[in-house]
Amino acid sequence: MAKEMIAMLLAGGQGSRLYALTQKLAKPAVPFGGKYRIIDFPLSNCVNSGIDTVGILTQYQPLVLNEYIGNGQPWDLDRLHGGVHVLPPYQQASGSDWYKGTANAIYQNISFIERYNPQYVIILSGDQICKQDYSDFLRFHKEKGAEFSVAVMEVPWDEASRFGLMVADENDKITEFQEKPKNPKSNLASMGIYIFNWDILKKYLVEDEADPNSENDFGNNIIPNLLRDGRKMYAYHFDGYWKDVGTISSLWEANMEVLDPEHSGINLFDENWKIYSRNSGKTGHKISANAVVENSMITDGCRIDGEVKHSILFAGVRVEAGAKVEDAVVMGGTVIKAGAVVQHCIVAENVVIGENAVVGAMPTESEKGVATIGSGIYIGDNAKIGPNAMVRNNVKGGEEQW
Amino acid sequence: MVNSNANALGIIFPNSYDSLVPELVGERLMASIPFASRYRMVDFILSSMVNSGIDNISIIVRKNYHSLMDHLGSGREWDLTRKNGGLNIVPPFAEKTVKVYNGRVEALASILDFLKGQKEKYVVMSDTNIAVNFDFKAMLDAHIASGADITVAYAKEEIADCFKKEYGIKKDLYYTLSIEDGRVNEIQINSKADGVQNCSMNIYIMEREQLIENISDAFVRGYVYFERDILAPQLDKFNVQAYEFTGYLARINDMKSYFDENMKLLNDENLDNLFSGNPVYTKIRDDNPTRYISGAKAKNIMAADGCVIEGEVENSILFRGVKIAKGAKVKNCVLMQDTVVEEGACVENIISDKKVTISAGQSVAGSDTFPVYIPKYKTV
Repeated sequence: MAKEMIAMLLAGGQGSRLYALTQKLAKPAVPFGGKYRIIDFPLSNCVNSGIDTVGILTQYQPLVLNEYIGNGQPWDLDRLHGGVHVLPPYQQASGSDWYKGTANAIYQNISFIERYNPQYVIILSGDQICKQDYSDFLRFHKEKGAEFSVAVMEVPWDEASRFGLMVADENDKITEFQEKPKNPKSNLASMGIYIFNWDILKKYLVEDEADPNSENDFGNNIIPNLLRDGRKMYAYHFDGYWKDVGTISSLWEANMEVLDPEHSGINLFDENWKIYSRNSGKTGHKISANAVVENSMITDGCRIDGEVKHSILFAGVRVEAGAKVEDAVVMGGTVIKAGAVVQHCIVAENVVIGENAVVGAMPTESEKGVATIGSGIYIGDNAKIGPNAMVRNNVKGGEEQW
Repeated sequence: MVNSNANALGIIFPNSYDSLVPELVGERLMASIPFASRYRMVDFILSSMVNSGIDNISIIVRKNYHSLMDHLGSGREWDLTRKNGGLNIVPPFAEKTVKVYNGRVEALASILDFLKGQKEKYVVMSDTNIAVNFDFKAMLDAHIASGADITVAYAKEEIADCFKKEYGIKKDLYYTLSIEDGRVNEIQINSKADGVQNCSMNIYIMEREQLIENISDAFVRGYVYFERDILAPQLDKFNVQAYEFTGYLARINDMKSYFDENMKLLNDENLDNLFSGNPVYTKIRDDNPTRYISGAKAKNIMAADGCVIEGEVENSILFRGVKIAKGAKVKNCVLMQDTVVEEGACVENIISDKKVTISAGQSVAGSDTFPVYIPKYKTV
């Protein structure tokens, strides 16, 4: 039974700019928005768009990600024919190879794609927060009679030179591609989401693999080659919420935007476009008589005895009496002990912050750093963690780290 | 069999004690009554069984079981989607006339052939009117060690007021035990004794073969109740051992106890006692985390995911998807799934069932000894 379109999700990124958060897990597995992980967004988008076959290409620290995906049931991707498949690099008769680049990762899994004999393949990225209807993207692709389409966002002109840009005519036909140019001719930034006709994609992957000088990358090699050959390439305008959460500050920002769906446009309360995730199974959260909770999101299993303002608390976080949490992203299972002050920071999973410890600081004119604490770290009593700190090792009581 | 599996199958009676809470079971049964912000009563016994290594569980439903079917689905959330065993929901069997069972004997008689075909040596039986984190494995070990024919779990409690009062017709019987050296020597039915009694939890363990024999025999004699008609008269013949449960126990006896048992969980110690053991599983709804919008005030509450709180809420239990609008006040309430309290509305001492709406500006108040109940889908 052929599938009209299947998805290939690039989830091998190390996410090195997230430092302490990706020491032990791949970027797509980084927790987000109270009860999700980044990869929940593209996976839920797939299911909500009617795509029931997804290959997830993993490479870096796949343990957490593999366990999280499991059989795909939370996303309704446990299917008899299709469903979700985790695809790590594997050994072949001709030897084994790590995925050398994004294009090579797909190349190594050509046989996976062929099992479903799809007309179209959508390439997704596992490091973006975005609610997008891929079926509308496919409708566009078919209407234009395209062989390749890329989803683009309009970005402010003064920031355009940070992106890969598509120059397109009035019919959305792509005429030029500029990778982080000094003098941008367009403000249409590529979101790294592509739809290919499978026959075209396969041809270019095989060609690219044969080229010893290629970096085997979609942006640097495949797309320029398509342009060179004058293929039918179109840019699909997307104007919803989209955020690349590749850095600590953008990850923090995106989390904070979840607290303000009316303005930011990232609404997780959308019954028609639910984001699915693997559930913590914890009991309801509790807010005690002396606690203060303002403008925050609190998840199952939390116990709040202290003060929580403008923060996101993931499942099972404890905030003891007298502790203060503000502008913070606190991931699952973390304990913030009495009198601790946790501000403007990201605290990863299962961290213990000791009594009266100070983590991060509210931003000032000159200092806007987001302090970051890696998972499983112990911060001793009375310790002090500065606003630019990136904590990867335990901090003893009373010590300071900046 | 590997050690972590119990050599026992589970049987759950989800309609037992329906008659005690007529309002709550208008469109459901005891087992599907929402409890503790995100669970249904059946979740506790079902999860306890699963956590004790019992993975062949039959639920013999009697009536009003659509909500339970919807809740349990294929049993996946409880890890009961199994090739062998798993979850088995047994609806009433249509014979010449559709017959709905009254007591346990009839219920069990309807699955005799099923029971005969199973391989587990023991049977664990339970109702769903209690919320507990129960270790059936420990009880089974005690049962085997004692050499008993039947083991019954009990807790030392006072008999609930509602059982002592004479009014009304109650179909469901309750039992207290006289125990000597661990052996039950008398079963009192509907006792009105004061003070702490050995109150039966109606959890039984016995050998499957023996249960089949007892039920076959009792059924042809027209017996209805397992305790009254089989156990009580034959305590000299059967070695019935009592197994004391000393953990946290929430028992639903009437509307008041339903309200109180929910409220008791606002105490951290109680909450920990009920949940700190093995996990309790329930149906997943994929709600987003609960959002407290600026201006919200929350004191001493337990809330599940999916709520949006903009008003004031105090001393309350909020189930999934409750909305409390700006200027609304909620005090001492149990608000079930998707209750909406609109702008400026004011509620105190109420239990709102699923999808109730309190319209803007309205106020509803019960008293702390008699909470007002608002039925499913109603708009005030």
